[in-house]
Amino acid sequence: MTTDTISNDYHIQSIELSDMLPEVFVNEAIPHSEVWLTHCVFQRGRHYLIEAPSGGGKSSLMAYIFGARTDYTGTLRFNNRDAATFDMTRWQLIRRRHLAYLPQELDLFPELTCIENIRLKNSLTGFIEERQIDEWLERLGIASRRDTPAGRMSIGQQQRLAIIRALCMPFDFIFLDEPVSHLDSTNNRIAAEIISEEAIRRGAGVISTSVGNPLLLHSAINVKL
Amino acid sequence: MNLIFRLLRKNTSLSRLAGCLASNLIGLAIIGAGLQFYLDARSIWQQKDSFLKSDYLAVNKVIGAANTLGGGASTFSDSDIADLQAQPWVERVGEFSRADFNVHASVALQAPAEGEQGRSMSTAMFFEAVPDDFLDIPESDFSWHEGAESVPVIISKDYLALYNFGFASAAGLPQLSENLISGIPLRLTLSSDDGSRRVQMYGRVAGYSNRFNTILVPQNFLDYMNSILASGPAPESASASPAAQGASEAAQRGSGKASHPAPSRLIVDVNSPGDAAIGKYLKAHGLEVAGDKSAAGATYLLRVVTGIVMGVGGVITLLAILIMVLSMSLLMEKNRQKIHSLLMLGYQPYVVARPFWRLTAVLAISAAVLATGCILLLRWQYLTPLESLGATPSGLGWTLLLIAGLTIIIILLNCHSITGRIRAAWRR
Repeated sequence: MTTDTISNDYHIQSIELSDMLPEVFVNEAIPHSEVWLTHCVFQRGRHYLIEAPSGGGKSSLMAYIFGARTDYTGTLRFNNRDAATFDMTRWQLIRRRHLAYLPQELDLFPELTCIENIRLKNSLTGFIEERQIDEWLERLGIASRRDTPAGRMSIGQQQRLAIIRALCMPFDFIFLDEPVSHLDSTNNRIAAEIISEEAIRRGAGVISTSVGNPLLLHSAINVKL
Repeated sequence: MNLIFRLLRKNTSLSRLAGCLASNLIGLAIIGAGLQFYLDARSIWQQKDSFLKSDYLAVNKVIGAANTLGGGASTFSDSDIADLQAQPWVERVGEFSRADFNVHASVALQAPAEGEQGRSMSTAMFFEAVPDDFLDIPESDFSWHEGAESVPVIISKDYLALYNFGFASAAGLPQLSENLISGIPLRLTLSSDDGSRRVQMYGRVAGYSNRFNTILVPQNFLDYMNSILASGPAPESASASPAAQGASEAAQRGSGKASHPAPSRLIVDVNSPGDAAIGKYLKAHGLEVAGDKSAAGATYLLRVVTGIVMGVGGVITLLAILIMVLSMSLLMEKNRQKIHSLLMLGYQPYVVARPFWRLTAVLAISAAVLATGCILLLRWQYLTPLESLGATPSGLGWTLLLIAGLTIIIILLNCHSITGRIRAAWRR
């Protein structure tokens, strides 16, 4: 896997969860789930919408898939390879090239400006051109905030900034944790358009979660957590 | 990269960094200054005789009223020597042989002006000899063979000091350096007690001793001259030709121990100079060691003091390392969320660690440079008085090596701790 992961032609085609369950849920009666304690596969190129009740382990699932936590039972596989065997270098490569992530807390750096936050991510791969970034800022209505420190932008503006930042890499899957919770339906639709365009351009899968205000993606497969 | 530095810089406190720098600086300066002072000052007590191994002791009996008034033995009897030889710390024992004749030396201090006599100084003196194998001096520098016109002598440094600082200044004579003395021939007149036999020759100062308060000549020279000039039945034709006479006489008298006068001093080769048993034995038998007794004490004291100073410096350095590691840890703990976010974006751990590594290195190296500066300043202050005490300053090499080594250790320890913190921030 070492050589093929490093090659630009390598893609994660599938993410497979077998009998996975957060350790805190073990010995607990959990409601019916299409993710936990079952066999669940996310395919590259498809769109998924995970509907999650609060406390259903949505953030845990994201942390598992991005290697930040390992407190689960069962197996997580990327292209049939057990993620538990990945080392730090492998995970960093996955985070740079294969899996894009918009965390629910956004994880922006408030002291950096809008454009600096984006550049911090884009400089890792240089995948997106500055012109393209400006166009997205324009479309999402935050071009005027380009040089404003992220900490001084409204939460809705920060969410749009975080969406753009998440797109600034080549990816096989993009995970969006409640990406539009603070957006109106217009901005929701624009965000969905941009994400779809970029996913199609890369042949990538989109997995977004929602507790009520879903990202308006076409033909998304609904998965109940 | 610049962005990362800006991000992580935010939580750094200038005063805490200054504290780190200061504690490091103080620790390194004390430990380094301690070592440097030890190295510089050590030479005062460590002037070794170039021709003598340091583990030789010159032993004599303590002169008391009994010796002087009662004529009691200040010499060593055969049983004394045998007893000493039997001690476990003794490798071998040699005897100081005395000259059994009179020595008169004169030195021309100023070249004679035309028509008048040059200024000269003359003195009565004496010779002793120790077995040649106790001396560590090239054969060519300290040897004499029959018929040679000049004989090499080794004199005590104290004699030169007595002359220079006592006699010469009082008598208005020029002070003499060691090198100068070595270049001036001593005119020696050796004569028997009754003055009937006389030998004229030249002496040449081949070296100076800190340890033996005596004037040494080669053993074979002393034996030969004793055989010619020693008091005893004077041969009939003694005054005619002493050199020719001597050869047959030496053969006739032999050099057997029986006729040898009992020695008043012994040279002892010891296997462990620091052995406490030596001091005990000497005291019990009323013996004393000439030369560097006080030097050993002073060196010991210097070592203890240096040890204490360097110990304090070491403790401060340890604390400084601890302070630095803790400050870095605190800084990284404060930045933990940012570090985690950077890692989640896909930044390599070493890229995130780099600004912290750099900060550590800058702090540690600045402390090392400043500490070196402090040491140089201090050294500049103490070097002049130290040199007037007779020290030959050592180089800065060991101290710089110590500081560099400690600095590298400080940097490595901190970098290790930083890497650990980054790995810890990997997990949420």
